[in-house]
Formats: sequence, C-alpha cells, structure tokens
Amino acid sequence: MAGTDIGSVTVNWIGLWTIIRREISRLLRVPIQAFVAPWISALMFIFIFGYVVGSRIATIGGHKYLEFVLPGILMMSIVNAAFLQATSQVYFQRFMKYVEEALVAPLSYAEMIVGTLAAVVFRTAATVIGILVIAAVFGGVKVVSIPEFLFWVVIVSGIFGLLGIAIGLWAQNFEQLTVLNIFFITPLSFVGGVFNTVSMLPPWLRWLAWGNPFFYFINGLRHSMIGFNEAPEPLGAVLSLTLLVILSVGVWRLFSVGYGLRE
Amino acid sequence: MLPALCVTNLRKVYRGGTVAVDGLSLTVEEGDFFGFLGPNGAGKSTTIHCITGIATVTSGKIEVFGVDAVKDYRKARALVGLSPQEFNVDVFATPVQIVDWMGGYFGIPAAERKKRIDELMERFDLTAHVKKPFRALSGGLKRRVILARALIHKPKLLILDEPTAGVDVELRIDLWRYLSELNRDGTTILLTTHYLEEVERLCRNIAIVARGKIVRQGPKEDFLATGGIEGAYLAATGAKPDHIGAGAA
Repeated sequence: MAGTDIGSVTVNWIGLWTIIRREISRLLRVPIQAFVAPWISALMFIFIFGYVVGSRIATIGGHKYLEFVLPGILMMSIVNAAFLQATSQVYFQRFMKYVEEALVAPLSYAEMIVGTLAAVVFRTAATVIGILVIAAVFGGVKVVSIPEFLFWVVIVSGIFGLLGIAIGLWAQNFEQLTVLNIFFITPLSFVGGVFNTVSMLPPWLRWLAWGNPFFYFINGLRHSMIGFNEAPEPLGAVLSLTLLVILSVGVWRLFSVGYGLRE
Repeated sequence: MLPALCVTNLRKVYRGGTVAVDGLSLTVEEGDFFGFLGPNGAGKSTTIHCITGIATVTSGKIEVFGVDAVKDYRKARALVGLSPQEFNVDVFATPVQIVDWMGGYFGIPAAERKKRIDELMERFDLTAHVKKPFRALSGGLKRRVILARALIHKPKLLILDEPTAGVDVELRIDLWRYLSELNRDGTTILLTTHYLEEVERLCRNIAIVARGKIVRQGPKEDFLATGGIEGAYLAATGAKPDHIGAGAA
C-alpha cells in the first residue's frame, strides 16, 4: 500500500483521493440534481427578492438590498449542498451496500471522513461559484475579505457535511434523510437573517435569532462580503469552530464503533 | 510459518440478540485451499464478514498472517481479498470503474492499477463489456467483475463466498482452473460453496460449520475415507438426505 507516515499513522493518500474522485464521478452522473437545481433556485431568490422586491426597498446599513440578501441566499445554498451531499453519499453507499468496498480496504476512519468532506467541499464550491456568477449578472457581488469568505464557506460546509454524515449513518429509509432538513435546517435558516436584519424582527422574537447558529453563519458570510454585521464576528467563529470540533469527534466515534456501517 | 488465517473463539451476536457465530475456531495454513461449508444461516458469511471488517466482532480473536484483524485492521485488510456472496457494488458504475476504485482504496498507484485492470479484464473476458454499467451485465459477467475486484491488489488470502452461485458451467470450469492456478502460485484460498463437487475438486482441507460452531474439520481425504463429503456434511450438520430429496422434488 502506498502511503505517507505522519507520526505513527500512515496516510493512504491514493485511497483518500479515490474516495474523492469516486464521489465526484457519481456527482457528475447527476449534474442537474447536484448543480443546476441549486443554481436555478438561487437565481429565483436573487431575481425575486434581490432584484424585483429589492429595487423597492431602501438600503440596509448603506447596502443595496440585493447585496444584503445575497450572503443569506449563498449560505442557504451552502448548507443545503453540504448536507445533501453528505447524506446522499453515505446513505447511498449503505443502501446499495458498496460501503463494504471501503470497509474491506485498508482505509482509516479519518480517511473515510475526510474523503467524504472533501467531496462535500467540492459540491459546495461548485454551487457557490455558480451562484456568484448568477449574482454578478444582477450586479450584486462584493467580497471585501476573501480569506474570511473562504473561512465561512469551508467551516459551514464542514459542519453540515458532518451533520449529513451522521444522518446518513442513522437513516433507515429515504424519508428519514429529509427529517433534519424539514424540521431544523430550513426553518432556522429562514429566521437566521437571510432576508432581514435581527432589528427588523419583533422584539419578542429577537432572542430566537441570537440563539440560532444560522444567524452567526449568515452574519459571518455577510460580513466577509459587504462588511455588515450584527453580532461580534469572533463569537460566531468560535461557536462555529466549537461545533465543528464536537461534530468531528462525534462522527469519528460513530465510524470507530461501526454505527450504521458494520453489521 | 504463520497461518494465513487463525480465528480463535469467535463470537458474533447481532443487535437483536441473534447469536450468528458461537465460539468458532479455525486455522487455515498458508498456501491452503480451504473449503468452509455449512447450511444457510450456519454462520459462514458472518464469519467472513468478521474477518474482512464488514461485521464487528463481539468477542474472540482473528489474525491474518499473524496480524490482528481488529487492532491492526488496516494491515490485515491489505492482505485479504473478498468476493462476497451479494453484489455489493455501485450498479451504475462500469466494470473498470469498480475495479479501479477498489485498487485505489488499496493504495495502488494509477499506472500499476491500469496495467492490472487490463490484465484482469482480459483474464475474465470482460474486455467487451468495460463500458457497460454493472446493472446491464448478465449474472455471470457480474460475478466475474466481483472476482476481478477481489484480485486487484493480489491478495495473499482470497476469500470466496459462493463465487460460482448462478454462473454457467463454462465459467465455473474456467474459474476452477483459474483458482487452482492462483493457489499453485501461492495464494491461500478460503472457499464457501454449496457445490460439494467444487470442494472435492479444489480443496485440501475442509471445515463444516453448523449453528455458529465448527462441527467437523480435517483434510479432504479424511472426509472421503468416511463416506464422502456429502455423507460427512449431512452427518455433521444433522440434515437428513431424504428430507433434502423431498425438498428438491
């Protein structure tokens, strides 16, 4: 086996790359579902909310409404792309039993998890690039800090990729794959400040925004794109990194006990 | 010389409490062609799944060429090739992709992998079918792809779980010849099958498993000297030949 020793751990680089290129090849078999659907969805949001409605709304914090709403639309798309990619990758492998190909091979749990997350980042990046191109047509693209922008894209992809892996391992049918998305991800992302600032919410509802992780994700991405924020960005970054670490440990633990993977 | 496979007191209890393997011990010497027989549900596939990492081990020890298959699982996996009973593949992928991905998982560099895939496609008469999705192949061709996948990394221990189930006579004979060659070249083979003729023709040592335990084990000659493999199988598993005959009718 070709590999590199890192301390006492050998990394199977070819195996890791194979997990990634295999998943990319699966994605390229369903390009409409994987890429075109989120682009069209984002186009509709940008056109209706950003362009049609936005042209009748005064600026928010000195920014055009399209510029304000774009980071929220992007974040919704990142979350959906990351979560759907991870759940479908893991669940399809289990459903069709070809997860056994990885189980009988000399791949570590870390390689399997990192490989899955790399495919998540690939799909998310393709989704983001497509949406930025669409938004550029409407003149709404601004990125004031590229490193900060990349930080939020990668961190949120990682969080929802890991969450998607856990759901993909847990689900026993296709219905269960959608549970988290319907009851948690979509409602929280809508009240997390995609289309509005927290100050626009009725006072009794503002607490919901402050306790909502999506608010910090959207706020962080919005700050990286237009420099506008409603919460201290370091707080959001620390919370997100903490969530990422907790989920990483949790998913590694699921792999190490074979939850949903081994008989 | 270390045995190719040493299973000691293996026990596997599934989540619902079903005991699939109950204190099974088994040794397969390096270079052996070993027949692992037993009725459906006896624990053969579960034992194989524990050896290869598809199933977790409840208790007991498994060593592959002296490497602990649980504690040092990556080293152990690199030594084993598995052709499973079920087609556990991405059915939309082509034979080349399926074999290539497995080679990649085993860390084989691209150029070496390509050469090996070409050899295997030719060896298993798959060259004309390399661009077809797996789901479009006949049962016999699917079985060949699974075998090619198991052999991509030239395993020292090859485990075949009913490799000739559902294949035509020509492929079965061709496969027997190929497996004999592989074994002659040094690959240790563990074979499970319901075709006793196959065992008689290929294997040197045999173990019979029933209700999760080994009920008889020894050289093939011992089985042949005491009424043949079929008689020994029926006696060891407690099945009645007339019952089997009635079932077949």
